[in-house]
Amino acid sequence: MTELRVESLAKRFGGLRVFQNIGFTLPEGGLLGVIGPNGAGKTTLINVISGRQMASAGKVVLGGRDITNQPAHAVSRLGLARSFQQTNTFKSVSVNENIARAVRFGGRGAPVGLTRMMDTFGLTPRLHEISDKLPYGLQKMLGLVMAFASAPKIVLLDEPAAGLERAERQNVDTFVQIVRDAGTSVLIVEHDMDLIRRLCPRILVLDAGVLLADGPPAEVLARPDVIAAYLGEAGEA
Amino acid sequence: MDQFVQAALIGISLGAQYALLALGFTLIFGILGVVNFSHGGFYMLGGYVAYSCVAFLGLPYPLAVLVAVAATAALGWVFELFLLERLVDDHLATLMLTLGLYLVISTGLLTVFGPLSMEFAFPVTGALHMGPIYVPRENLIVLAVCLTAIAALWLVLYRTDLGRGLRALADDRAVAMAQGLRPKLLFPLAFAIATGLAGLTGALVTPILSLSPGVGDPVLATSFLTVILGGLGSLEGAALAAFVVGIVEAFSSVYFGGSIGALVLFVLVLLLLVFRPTGLMGRTVRGA
Repeated sequence: MTELRVESLAKRFGGLRVFQNIGFTLPEGGLLGVIGPNGAGKTTLINVISGRQMASAGKVVLGGRDITNQPAHAVSRLGLARSFQQTNTFKSVSVNENIARAVRFGGRGAPVGLTRMMDTFGLTPRLHEISDKLPYGLQKMLGLVMAFASAPKIVLLDEPAAGLERAERQNVDTFVQIVRDAGTSVLIVEHDMDLIRRLCPRILVLDAGVLLADGPPAEVLARPDVIAAYLGEAGEA
Repeated sequence: MDQFVQAALIGISLGAQYALLALGFTLIFGILGVVNFSHGGFYMLGGYVAYSCVAFLGLPYPLAVLVAVAATAALGWVFELFLLERLVDDHLATLMLTLGLYLVISTGLLTVFGPLSMEFAFPVTGALHMGPIYVPRENLIVLAVCLTAIAALWLVLYRTDLGRGLRALADDRAVAMAQGLRPKLLFPLAFAIATGLAGLTGALVTPILSLSPGVGDPVLATSFLTVILGGLGSLEGAALAAFVVGIVEAFSSVYFGGSIGALVLFVLVLLLLVFRPTGLMGRTVRGA
């Protein structure tokens, strides 16, 4: 069973505390949203879980195996993929080569739904274009497709809708749907509250590096402390 | 016309040698982000290893060349894995480390073999006469081996998973690592391929030119100049620029005299840097 468990996780940069005592479990096939104001530590949380940055304390357990402070490539090999806030493609090569690399490096073969995903996002007719030349929205979707193309067990999405036009944001819903159909768990960090409400049966709220709330969106988003910490300032986003 | 054809042939032959050197140099820069100041040292070492195999062990020259390639690749692998790897993201430290290695290699060779040129002759002599055109056989053999090595490198880089991984690391290290690639495995391999190519060039070319502890200096200068002309980190650019450098050098020498060649080249690079700072096929930005 591939469950992601985070226990008392903390990250400090010298004397600066980014987050502390973060704990949650993402069950196999689950979907978890993470929200919080800018600077709450959301991206750093993804970086620490995925091995890009070292944890200062606590544990990250993937499928019963302690992966705390394992390097990014080792975590990826164990089936945990991630996307980046900015586009995460190999910019100087074609769309086709980008996807081929993700599939080959993943070593688990192409996942079910990959072709459908590429068709849906309009990448199939542009396979031979250099990824850097694609419109931003398509580059962003290509980055998401690459995270899925390695056939991961869990995928961490860092603001997948950031920078996308309103119409393009629907593609994120489709992406999550296809990923979940393949049995992959999803952790999604996002500022788009409509998207979070639509997709996530459960959300975490981070504020100033502390886990403020954990539960269903309707319940969590009605809490006065959550409204004060986050929704008040970003509710219009 | 005969002079023109002969100059072109010399230029292509020189270009192939420079391509081997420049491809290794740019491979290391593109993948590790390191400017390898020890590149000329590996060229020299390749020459001395091949010479030692022939002179002291009595090995046939082709086998000596293979030993030189293996030895320089192995040293490059060990150097990257145990020294360079620890400081690979510190540009100043890698510059000092590679420069230091060059000094260690050249001083070591000076201590062991002395300052004089070795008597190391290419085993094949004579020339091929095509009408009035005269081409030394040794140059043709070196050209054939260099072109074969370039083709082999191309196959490795563009037709294998290892090559795909190396190119991915060169394109964007963070994304490549997130995709599961292990720099600690691939960086030493890339370094070994590059130093092996420098060693191969040294083993092939020093019997024709000369073999002494100072022959690495111009090699570093030429490699650096070539990859800047081609665009730092660009393999295609390095190969193209190497042939441009070889041909410019050959034609300048034939038509204007030996010393003008270097001047023409430096003026060419200077103009290119003014009008096209990224080189012939260089990229503007490098992900790291």
